[in-house]
Amino acid sequence: MRIILVEPDRLLADTYRQALEVQNHQVVMCAGAQAAIFAADEEQPDLVILELQLVGHSGIEFLYEFRSYVDWQTIPVVILTNVPAGEFSGSWELLQQELQIQAYHYKPLTSLRTLLATVNQFATVKR
Amino acid sequence: MSQQLLLGIAEQLKLPLLQIARQAELASLQGKADLHQLTTTAESALHLIDSYVLGVRLANHQEQALVLEPVSISQILYDTGHELDALAKFYGVQLELSLGGKFGPVLAHREGLQAALTSLGAALIEALPTTQNPQLTLRLATHRCRYGIVAGLYADTEQLTAKALRDGRKLQGRSRQPLVGLSPSAGAGVFVADALLSAMHLRLKTSRHHRLYGLGTVLTPNSQLALV
Repeated sequence: MRIILVEPDRLLADTYRQALEVQNHQVVMCAGAQAAIFAADEEQPDLVILELQLVGHSGIEFLYEFRSYVDWQTIPVVILTNVPAGEFSGSWELLQQELQIQAYHYKPLTSLRTLLATVNQFATVKR
Repeated sequence: MSQQLLLGIAEQLKLPLLQIARQAELASLQGKADLHQLTTTAESALHLIDSYVLGVRLANHQEQALVLEPVSISQILYDTGHELDALAKFYGVQLELSLGGKFGPVLAHREGLQAALTSLGAALIEALPTTQNPQLTLRLATHRCRYGIVAGLYADTEQLTAKALRDGRKLQGRSRQPLVGLSPSAGAGVFVADALLSAMHLRLKTSRHHRLYGLGTVLTPNSQLALV
């Protein structure tokens, strides 16, 4: 699968990229929302992994922009973030229905194995 | 003050601990371990804890004994650069030292000043790769200004304006990302440096060095020391 990984920390992004490449996924790393939009246009990704706390535009702003394009409305988005899911308790419907988040992982408690399992699940669906 | 510092340190500590956890897991997945990277990340976490302890000590005892000594700013910047070197390499950031000019010693708390500059440097190193600018160079520099001698860290991208820093101080502790121009972890590093400098009655300021943008602190030269 072609994956866009939106992660502001370069070391962490590199670690996630290597783990995903072990499973034969192609990864394009982006540090911010604007770069991710450009990358999505160029790469036509099968999946996006997104941190919500970015520099400048937030991950939510990215999602509104991303979902506004018809071609990208069905691309699965996996949230991998430092923001605990509990903080979105009042707006789950918005995340799931309007912005179509397929999975939400709290970064400090999500192992690479869990992330890979989620990603591979989408790879299976794609086949 | 120590609570704000704890908040900053806790936020900033999350990143190296997360990096260690994921790097270790990646090593087990790949069957090989990059121990050098793990060691450097763990050392960076230990430095943060040291900064916190030092900051609290300075804050609690500032009225009784803030031990000041004659300090060479050039030496402090050189040592800071040395401490940040490994971290900068991992982030692909080139460190430059610019110590042009002759500056006399200043009265400062050596350990505290170095901890503050190291924390600030680590924050800016983390922040630089998120900018659109491909030139990832961070310059540790010193120059004279109207009020004294500035010691700071500079890059060719403006990451933080004076207003953003002022607003960020007000939002600290109430917002997840008080400095929108920086990632939460890098922003926390800036506040740690801010708290450490405040404990020494110094102030973190946005500053320019030639055409570069950065953050630094103004130190007052001591003319009596210059005579020695």
